[in-house]
Amino acid sequence: MKIARLIAVCVLLAAWAAPSARAAQPAAPDSERLQVNDAFIELHTGPGRGYPVFFVAERHQWITVEMRHTDWYRVRAEGGQVGWVQRQQLTNTLTAAGTTKGFRDVLLDDYLARRVEVGASWGRFKSEPMLKVWSAYRLSDTLGVEATLGQVQGLFSGTDFWHVNLNVEPWSDQRWSPYFGVGLGKFNNIPNNSLVNATPVNANLANAALGLRVHLSERFVARADYTLYTALVSDAHSSEYRALTLGLSFFF
Amino acid sequence: MRLSSIPCLLLCTPLLALAQHKTDGTDQVVVPQVERREISVPHFPSNDFELGLFAGTYATQNFGSSAVAGLRLGYHITEDVFVEAAYGQTKVSDANFRQVLPGGVFADSKETLSYYNLAAGYNVLPGEVFFGSKVAKASAFYIIGGIGSTNFVDQKRQTFNVGFGARLLFSDRFAVQADVRDHIFSLDLLGKRQSTQNPEVTLGVTLFF
Repeated sequence: MKIARLIAVCVLLAAWAAPSARAAQPAAPDSERLQVNDAFIELHTGPGRGYPVFFVAERHQWITVEMRHTDWYRVRAEGGQVGWVQRQQLTNTLTAAGTTKGFRDVLLDDYLARRVEVGASWGRFKSEPMLKVWSAYRLSDTLGVEATLGQVQGLFSGTDFWHVNLNVEPWSDQRWSPYFGVGLGKFNNIPNNSLVNATPVNANLANAALGLRVHLSERFVARADYTLYTALVSDAHSSEYRALTLGLSFFF
Repeated sequence: MRLSSIPCLLLCTPLLALAQHKTDGTDQVVVPQVERREISVPHFPSNDFELGLFAGTYATQNFGSSAVAGLRLGYHITEDVFVEAAYGQTKVSDANFRQVLPGGVFADSKETLSYYNLAAGYNVLPGEVFFGSKVAKASAFYIIGGIGSTNFVDQKRQTFNVGFGARLLFSDRFAVQADVRDHIFSLDLLGKRQSTQNPEVTLGVTLFF
């Protein structure tokens, strides 16, 4: 058990260290010079459309992109003015090489490279309220792995659980996309102190889920799922629970 | 004449083959000397994540208010929408009950109330706050709501929270935010189960990274 935990920690550390090691090899520049190719671009005082425009950089002026906050980029103009420009306004800029391709490609690559998704769902486990958060990683267009952490808050006991699922999404290019998943994990049931003679129960669990994902926008996905949980209480005894949840997730 | 032309043709076949080979097109006549440009895609630093500490007052229904402190981790998805996970803790006293009921309600005179929640927020009023006539700092007023859990006197209860807040950005990395939140959960402490409203007012500092 301890060894398994140690291995898990090592894997996590390796996963944590891997991107930084990759980033260290070719030093990717953290800013880029661009030439304005539209009639003008607007610099806002903050990263949002509600912040006032205080400067306008005209065509053929050079700007330097320094930082990003959500869909907004902090830009330094030739005259030293620093403001925030929305992503769409930068797609028509020219790179130092004179092509319009660069920046637009970065944005498209960003979009296509989205693999990590985080979400939360709320619903019913039998008749009790259930809350779960999950993180999913897409291995391919139709296959993904998902780790879920959740809690069921009953009147007489609380249950914590986790499980890891393999999800299949055959029509992942569709806006309305059904999926199916199976997985394994663990239940940890802790009775409230008011119950007499109740003991905490640990049980392995298996689950099968059927769900529907609806892509709401570029970043957001809503989803509904129906899950059949089997608690493997002992060799001879298992119990089944059904859960229905609704949730929202977003891509990183 | 005919007989002599045959060996002549036979002699010419390798030449024909050679000529065909030359006009095949697979061999490039001119090899351009193009230097491959190494394009390194810029990786802009971003500050979509936030980590914050907050402290303030938590008013537990029937028990009065007490000091609360906690921390939060947030992620800004778009300019409008953000999500955050928060954890807070306060010590609730039943001193008011002990004045009339000698035994009080709790086993000890103070019980720890802790909560966690996941919430989604929406920036409704982005704007600027002016300090004098020269300095202006970006700010945002947001509404927020979510679901979580409260652990109080050995009862773990599902908790809804709704509220609003304001964030003042002193730099791209640092903000101060004030938050008003109502935590709604049911509790069975005073003889019957009842839904309780527990407002909380906090002030916090936030680092973006």
